Amino acid sequence: MDWLASTLASLAAQPVIGYAPAQSPATEPTALAALALIAAGKARQAAPALDFLASCQGSDGAVGIRHSEPSPGWPTGLAVLAWRAADDASSRNAYAAHRRRAVDWILEAKGTAMPRSPEMGHDTQLVAWSWADKTHSWIEPTALNVLALKRAGLGTHARVREAIRLLVDRLLPVGGCNYGNTVVLGQTLRPHVQPTGLAMLALAGEVGPACRAGPDQVSDRAARSRPAAGTYLERSLAYLQRSLIRPSTAMSGAWALLGLRAHGIELANGAELLAAAHRRVQAHDRSPHKLALLALAAQNNSLALLVSDRGRAG
Amino acid sequence: MTLPANQPGNLSRRTLLVGGGICAGALFGAGLVRRWFRERAGVFIARHQRYDGDLVRPIRDGLVATGLNVEEVRGKRVLLKPNLVEPTRSAPHMTTHPAVILAAAEVFRLWGAAVTVGEGPGHLRDTEMALVESGVADALDSGKLTFADLNYDELGFVKNGGRMCKLPGFHFPRAVLEADLIVSMPKMKTHHWMGVTAALKNMYGVIPGIKYGWPKNVLHHNGIPETVYDINASLPKTIAIVDGIDCMEGDGPIMGTKKSMGLLVVGTVPAAVDATVCRLMDLDPAQVPYLQLAANRLGPIDDSLISQCGESWRPLASPFQILDKPHLNRLRRHRGVLVS
Repeated sequence: MDWLASTLASLAAQPVIGYAPAQSPATEPTALAALALIAAGKARQAAPALDFLASCQGSDGAVGIRHSEPSPGWPTGLAVLAWRAADDASSRNAYAAHRRRAVDWILEAKGTAMPRSPEMGHDTQLVAWSWADKTHSWIEPTALNVLALKRAGLGTHARVREAIRLLVDRLLPVGGCNYGNTVVLGQTLRPHVQPTGLAMLALAGEVGPACRAGPDQVSDRAARSRPAAGTYLERSLAYLQRSLIRPSTAMSGAWALLGLRAHGIELANGAELLAAAHRRVQAHDRSPHKLALLALAAQNNSLALLVSDRGRAG
Repeated sequence: MTLPANQPGNLSRRTLLVGGGICAGALFGAGLVRRWFRERAGVFIARHQRYDGDLVRPIRDGLVATGLNVEEVRGKRVLLKPNLVEPTRSAPHMTTHPAVILAAAEVFRLWGAAVTVGEGPGHLRDTEMALVESGVADALDSGKLTFADLNYDELGFVKNGGRMCKLPGFHFPRAVLEADLIVSMPKMKTHHWMGVTAALKNMYGVIPGIKYGWPKNVLHHNGIPETVYDINASLPKTIAIVDGIDCMEGDGPIMGTKKSMGLLVVGTVPAAVDATVCRLMDLDPAQVPYLQLAANRLGPIDDSLISQCGESWRPLASPFQILDKPHLNRLRRHRGVLVS
C-alpha cells in the first residue's frame, strides 16, 4: 500500500495536526496520528503528538479540542488511548500521570439524564458521556470513553457497564445506530455508518445478555412486529457490511472497518475501500485528520491499541 | 476574533447591502432604508420551478426585487449555507438540492463575489458523507466551489446579540465570521418540534459540532426557540433563498414525506421569508415559537408588513401535513379541523 507508506511518512514528519491542512492543531486528529504511528512501529516519531496532547490537558484532567479550546473534553478518551499505546510501546510509563488524571476526569464526567418520555424511544435515564458539559449522553463520546476505560483496565467499572447498556439500548431494530436517538415521536430513525463502527468497537468482547436482548422500549408498531431473528449486535454488524458494499468515505469507512475487525470480520474489499477513500481525500480537502484515521484503519495491529485484549474485564 | 453583532433595529453591514431593488425602489437615504428594514420587508416567490430548469434568473430577480444592493456584493465573501442536517440518498427531499446551491453560487459570482459553501451537519460527524449522500459533493466539484466544514473550523466567540437564552455568546466558525454575507439556503420543511424549519432554524448549522456536539445538544438544553433567535441575532448579516421545489411534510425535518411545491422563496430579511414560507404551507407563523420571538425584532412576520414580490403566496398556499401532536396543533388551528 503505497498510500499508507506515504501517509505514515507525512505523519511522522508532522504528527501534530489539525482537521484541515491550514488549521491549528487539534487533539482528536493528533491522537489518531499518534496511534497510527505507534501501530506502524514509529513510536519515537509520535512523541510530539503525545506531548501536544499532554500540553492540552487541563488541571482537571480533561483534554480539550484545541489549545485555544480547553472545553469540551470529549477528546480525553482518545488521548488516553494514545498515551496508553505509547507507554506500552516504550515499556515506560512516561504518560502515566496524564493517563491517571484523564481517567479520573472521565469517571467524573457524566451526561445528563432526562425524565422518561413516551416521545423518546431510548432509556433517557441511562448515564454515560456527552459531547459537551450538561447535555445528554450520546453514542460517540460514550464509545470513545468506554474504549479508554477498558484500556485503562476498568472494564468492570460501574460506569463502563452502564455505558455498555446505553450503547446497546441505542442500537436500532434494523441494526446500527445514529448519533444516539432510536425512536422519536413514534418514528424509528435511520442508522449511520460512523457511529455504528465506533459502537461496535466499544462493544467488542461484550457477549452478555445485554447484547443479545436489544432495546425493549421500541414504541412503533412496525419495529415491534419485526421478526426477532438475529440480535441487535449481529444486525449492526450486518448493517456495516451492507454499507461497505459500495465505496465509503474516509471517516465512516475507517471506523466501520475497525468496528468489524473488532468482531473478527475482515472485508475482502477493505483495503480497496481505504485506498479509494484516500484518493478522495487527496483530491478534495487533504484533511490530515482523515489521513491519520485511514492510516490507523489500514494496519492490522491497530486494533490492539484500541480494544483491550482482555475483553470486558479490561 | 469578534465581529460586531447584528443588533436588531440597528443599521448593520447587512442593511448596507440591502439598499436598492424593485420592492425597495421608492426608498432613498439611509434613514428611510433603516425604517423600511425595521418595519417592512420584501419577499419574492417564484413558482413553476424545477431542479433541471433555469434557477439562476429567479434567484437573481428575487434578490434584486427584495432589496439586495448588487454593487455592494462585488468583491465580498459570500457564504452559502444549505441544509444538510442528515442526508441520505433515500430522502433527497430532506436537504437543499445541489442545483439550487449551484444557481445561487452562479448569481453571486456573476455579481463579483467570492463564494464558499459551508455547513455543519447536525446529526452526522462525517461531513464528507453528508456531502456525498446529498449530492452536494458532486455539485461542489462541478462548480469548482470551495467548501467550509463548519463543524470543525477554527472558532471565534461572539456575544449573544439576542439574550433570549442564558448563553453569553456563541462560538462561530471562522468561515462564518469572515463572511461579508451569509445566505441561508434551507429546504422548506415541517419540523416535529417547532412546526416549521426554514431560514432562521437553518442557522443551527453554523454552530460547530466540535464545540456543541452532534446533535448540537447545548442549543436544545438552552431552548430551541430562544437559541434560534439568539443565533440569528448574533450573526452579522444573513439573507435567505429557500428551496421550496420538492419539500418535506409530516415528520420533518428528517423522516417526513415529499411534497412538491415548485417554489423558490427569496428575501433579504429571513424572518419575513420564514413567515411567508409558513403561509405557503398553510401554517400560522404567529404560532411558530421562534418566529414569535423574531417578530419585529429580526424582521416582520405580519403579512401586512411584508411586500410580496413575484407571485402572491395566497393562490400558492397548500396545506402541509404536520404530526398530530398537541404542541403542533395550534399551527393549523385556522384550518378548522383538528384530529385530536
